[in-house]
Amino acid sequence: MGASFFKIAVRDAPLRQSLWQVPALLALALFLAVSTNHWRADGIPLIGDWSTEARFSDTSGDSMIIPLERARQLFKEEAAVFVDARPASQYEDDHIQGALNIPWQEADSYFMDALGRLESAQAIITYCDGESCDLSHELALFLKEMGFDNVHVLVNGWTVWKEAGLPVMVNK
Amino acid sequence: MQKVDMNSKKQPVGSVSGLSGVVYHALRLLLGGIFLFASYDKILHPEAFAQAVYNYQILPDHLVNLAALILPWLELLLGLCLIAGVWLPGTILISTGLLTVFIAALIFNQIRGLDIHCGCFSTETSEGPAGILTVIRDLFFWAISIYLTLFIFLVRPRLQRAEAGEKESHSKAGA
Repeated sequence: MGASFFKIAVRDAPLRQSLWQVPALLALALFLAVSTNHWRADGIPLIGDWSTEARFSDTSGDSMIIPLERARQLFKEEAAVFVDARPASQYEDDHIQGALNIPWQEADSYFMDALGRLESAQAIITYCDGESCDLSHELALFLKEMGFDNVHVLVNGWTVWKEAGLPVMVNK
Repeated sequence: MQKVDMNSKKQPVGSVSGLSGVVYHALRLLLGGIFLFASYDKILHPEAFAQAVYNYQILPDHLVNLAALILPWLELLLGLCLIAGVWLPGTILISTGLLTVFIAALIFNQIRGLDIHCGCFSTETSEGPAGILTVIRDLFFWAISIYLTLFIFLVRPRLQRAEAGEKESHSKAGA
């Protein structure tokens, strides 16, 4: 074996090695992920159901979604209290008329102030902004955990409410 | 010939010594530790991490769970390989690739104003939303990974080649 051959082999080594190491590492990670997920108790489906109905469900799997029409009706009858789950700064800019603010990040500290109005309401409707926003859902689960039964989520609430021309409070 | 002989005895093939060697080994161990630390909580809480991946709104829905399952194990493997010093070329390429994708995803969501939790080290939402500091932190990791990539692909083979050449000439002289 000549010195020149040895030199070339060493020089190309990292690239050649990575050609099999990269797929090997990916395959090993895939194998470990799928096998451990299969055997553990809290495994998740390999292909998840991320539909709106499935995402906005309570701990027993029932959907918490309230249609806009129903939310509008409860608003008119003053039978529901609306809870804005967005950060306080966004709530201060604009929100559904009469809505409370319990920012999900600080739910614990805002909760006590809101308690009175939550208890007097027949239904609670949480909302945030955006189809994928999960704050309203998290807040709804939190409120259920706190003992409230009639809790619903208005998905993409701020946007659909505003676009339907329903009453809002704007401070801009 | 005598001088070369002494040098090759001092360093086995593949060893990297000197100041640049110390920096290289320190950064390799540091990045390995970061990956191990990052994988731990995500492996323990697959459902919460899947939610974090979903919240990025980048992957199509049917790929969210698979990505959330594989990523932590890949990070664990990268961490172990970096610390043990094995499979380094493949490991560091994936590391740099992953960090590039993570940073791109973070910046993309910063720009479109999505309020997400980064899910970088913990699946707890109390970690706070990902902000510009998260991007800066990841850029720091990214720089380490780039440095290691260059070192493993360009510097290390040259050092090994030099030593191999010395051995080769040494064995020829011996024959």
